[in-house]
Amino acid sequence: MDLVQFAAGKTLSSSAVFLLVTVLLLAAAQRVSTSIKLFALQSAIITAQVMATAYTEKSAEAWVVAAMVFGLKVIAIPSTLLWLVERLKTRRAVEPTISGAKAVFVAVFMIFLSYAAVQPYALESHIAADALSSAVALILVGAFLMVNRRKALMQIIGLLVLENGIFLAALATTFGMPLVIEIGIFFDLLMGILIMGIFAFRIRDTFDHLDVTKLRRLRG
Amino acid sequence: MRSLIPLVQALVIVFGAPLLRGVVSKLKARLQGRQGASVWRPYADLGKLFRKEDLVPPLASPLFWMAPRIVFAATAAAVLLIPVFQPAAVFGSPGDFVLLVGLLALARFFLVLGAMDGGGAFGGMGGSREALVSALAEAPFLLGITAVAIMARSTQLAGIVTWTLGQNFFDISAVHILAFSALAMVAVAETGRVPVDNPTTHLELTMIHEAMVLEHSGPSLAFLEWANSIKLGLLLSLLIGLFFPWGMAAGFSLPVLALAAGAYAAKMAALALVLAAVESSVAKMRMYAVPDFLGIASATGALAVVFTAFGGR
Amino acid sequence: MILLLPLLIPLVGAAVLLGFGTGGRARVLALVIGAAEIFAVIRVVLAVYFEQPLQFGRFLRADALSAFFLLNLALVSGLALVYSFDYLQHIEGNRFSSPRWFYTLVFFFVFTMVGVCLSANLGLLWIMMEATTLASALLVGFYNTRGAVEAGWKYLIVCTVGIAFALFGTIVLYLAAIRSGLSPDAALDWMALMESVPRLGGEISLLKLAFVFVIVGYGTKVGFVPMHSWLPDAHAEAPSPISALLSAVLLNCAMYTLLRYDAIVARAIGASFSHTLLLGFGVASLVTAGLLIIVQRDLKRLLAYSSIEHMGIVAIGVGLGGTLGLYGALLHTFNHSLGKSLLFFAAGNVRQNFGTSRMDRIGGLARSSPQAAMALSLGTVAIVGLPPFALFVSEFAILSEAFAQSQILVAALFLATLSIVFGGMFHHLSGMLFREEQSAASTRLEWSEALPIAITVLGLAWLGVHIPAGLQGLIERAIAVL
Repeated sequence: MDLVQFAAGKTLSSSAVFLLVTVLLLAAAQRVSTSIKLFALQSAIITAQVMATAYTEKSAEAWVVAAMVFGLKVIAIPSTLLWLVERLKTRRAVEPTISGAKAVFVAVFMIFLSYAAVQPYALESHIAADALSSAVALILVGAFLMVNRRKALMQIIGLLVLENGIFLAALATTFGMPLVIEIGIFFDLLMGILIMGIFAFRIRDTFDHLDVTKLRRLRG
Repeated sequence: MRSLIPLVQALVIVFGAPLLRGVVSKLKARLQGRQGASVWRPYADLGKLFRKEDLVPPLASPLFWMAPRIVFAATAAAVLLIPVFQPAAVFGSPGDFVLLVGLLALARFFLVLGAMDGGGAFGGMGGSREALVSALAEAPFLLGITAVAIMARSTQLAGIVTWTLGQNFFDISAVHILAFSALAMVAVAETGRVPVDNPTTHLELTMIHEAMVLEHSGPSLAFLEWANSIKLGLLLSLLIGLFFPWGMAAGFSLPVLALAAGAYAAKMAALALVLAAVESSVAKMRMYAVPDFLGIASATGALAVVFTAFGGR
Repeated sequence: MILLLPLLIPLVGAAVLLGFGTGGRARVLALVIGAAEIFAVIRVVLAVYFEQPLQFGRFLRADALSAFFLLNLALVSGLALVYSFDYLQHIEGNRFSSPRWFYTLVFFFVFTMVGVCLSANLGLLWIMMEATTLASALLVGFYNTRGAVEAGWKYLIVCTVGIAFALFGTIVLYLAAIRSGLSPDAALDWMALMESVPRLGGEISLLKLAFVFVIVGYGTKVGFVPMHSWLPDAHAEAPSPISALLSAVLLNCAMYTLLRYDAIVARAIGASFSHTLLLGFGVASLVTAGLLIIVQRDLKRLLAYSSIEHMGIVAIGVGLGGTLGLYGALLHTFNHSLGKSLLFFAAGNVRQNFGTSRMDRIGGLARSSPQAAMALSLGTVAIVGLPPFALFVSEFAILSEAFAQSQILVAALFLATLSIVFGGMFHHLSGMLFREEQSAASTRLEWSEALPIAITVLGLAWLGVHIPAGLQGLIERAIAVL
């Protein structure tokens, strides 16, 4: 077994672990810029998984998808978000509603849930249980991050983690969807981030803060 | 001859501990752009302290004098349970990691008692802080080792090391990564390094461990400092043994033992470098943030144990 | 080619507007482009009606169902464009809030909605639905006030999360298709899925999982309770022509998406699962919105909750199934879009004249501006479901289906809620018409605002009395598609 094949096989099976570590760190992160870099790291791990899949499945499309994931989620979106943080001149702290160790415990609980939920299905369906479980964990923790964070920017990051989880779930079960669809999805994501950035500026301009829990004027 | 080897490895840790401390300080200094003191300096410090007089506060009980010696004895005894060069320890037995944690707890208990017995304000403050930190650190300590023990199907430290030796390094296991994270955080907390406690601080209000040894002097202080160094060496050796044991001697021939010693030294040096780098780059946490830190360690440890149920590969 | 035009025209039009639409030119350009777009869409509708379903390449397809919703889209966008001709005079132009940007965004929005109706591929459908959220978010926040920005942000986030869940559902459906033997290229194609329905029937749990995620995800865009939190804010804070587009077209497009998925799942594993879910969401939306209507204080929020209520009715119609139920549901989407546009146009006029949309500050309409008062009254009568307006017909059809299937609980809740809504709406309306204290700052009603209002009233009345054969035939063919 040549080295590359070996590495590819190991990547798929063990990257779930590293994704979980990034998930825990995201739950515990104290600064917005740290969260953004953790998201970039997570996307890099997923890129590695896509490349490993491309190699083992001998699929040219998957290489293109890997390039897109890397270009978009590891480079373009994190740099845009970091630039936003600079321009918005907002406070560096994450300001979560549940903080520190409690948030990590919630994240741990969600990881446990996702593994427990996927186990019975995986056994009967021969799907890569690890990858799918980590994907579901990403989805759950992404949703938790959106709810837990008070800053508008952090909601965007939670959303991005959620999308990462869904992408990984697609990768784990079906080895990716047709290329055109993937391109369309990525384009949508990019546009979405841009528009959310525009809105973040507007929120800051009209409200003088980025605390979304204070956006409660419209009720009833 | 054969049974002497484990004793030798215990003595290596006990007598090499000050050297380890010196190496960490030197690396830290170099990373911060300073020259730093010589790596043999802790030995000189110990020698100086042993020659000095032991001052005891007039209101202190005999406990004040006995506590440092008990601390040293308990910590040194704990060393006898750790496999260093070989996957065998002097006094191994099933469930010995609980004994390890217990001995460290005993040492800590007397440390706190000695500090409070000194009668100074800072002794009490340091004691209460140390009690909080160690109470919170026990859980991840036990959880982390339990997780690895479940994977190895053995509760004896030597047995765990033997199992890990048989594993392929590239079969990265979720349980091990999580347990290592938890135990690394515990090691930082237990040995009083940045970011939990700054060992070189002279501001009393920021001290945890230093505040407890403030009142002791002479040989008592020497024993306490030595015990602290031994604890660092002990915990680092534990980390190496549980997670990176490859290179340990399987047999008793001289070349194999020499190789094992070399591997051990290299790994210790690497860990010392990592510790120095972390200490130089991270700021010490506020005392209120320490329970959070240890809470995260507990969560990681708990996750590690939970993962063993999922076959955790 | 004929399928490409309705997509290309708004896209090119948006670019043209962005480049050349300065000052007063924007409005005229918009009308021209809008006319061209409506023409192109009607051509597609007629082609499908008189000949057969059209297909372009692998991704674009127009069958009777698409044609029906496209007709709806063309009609309402045309009306909205006419209405906005004079409506926008009141907006000061700052960075993103000029008529130029308004029309650019509107045409981009129209492009995405046409894309939804013309998608043959479920993946492309998802992409277009997500794009509708993105395109309309900036329109919702157009006024740049605190309320508008908050509404826009909430809309963006909640709907993007919902659509992400819908993506997950689509992926699960894709997985089920692949596992039952379809090739990757065909596994997301709606026609191919409909044809291989027997094979799909084996993947019961996967299909159920997929549908749950899809109904939660796309249901967020439809405004089902409990995923509706964005809707009152978004529809209330947007400019009135945009509110009309959102309530009357976008909600229908989302419902269209659900219909496509329901068709596949219902045929594959039997209708009970998907239809029960639809019924559940429908009843929940109907009852919740109906009750909340009573306590509303803002006119446009009231209309938004009414939209939720009517989407609930449509869902009930689809969930009941049967020819009458489905017919009623489809007809109701059309009728509701007419009625809701009428109401939003009238409300927009009231808001411009009174400077606020809070109902307790609006009064004496009957005396000060009789045309607006008439428009509002006719709209309320229509939306509540009274004859001779069209909503009566569609609601009656759905109700009959409920009785025919002995779904007594559903029918009872339906009738009860309708009565409550009737009472609530008339209470609010009479307050606005006859209350003495307030008076309007002005009582203008431009011809460009009056024309769409008149058209909708006439349309509602006409459909209430007699449904033209063309429309009837189109609906029946749409049902056959499903």
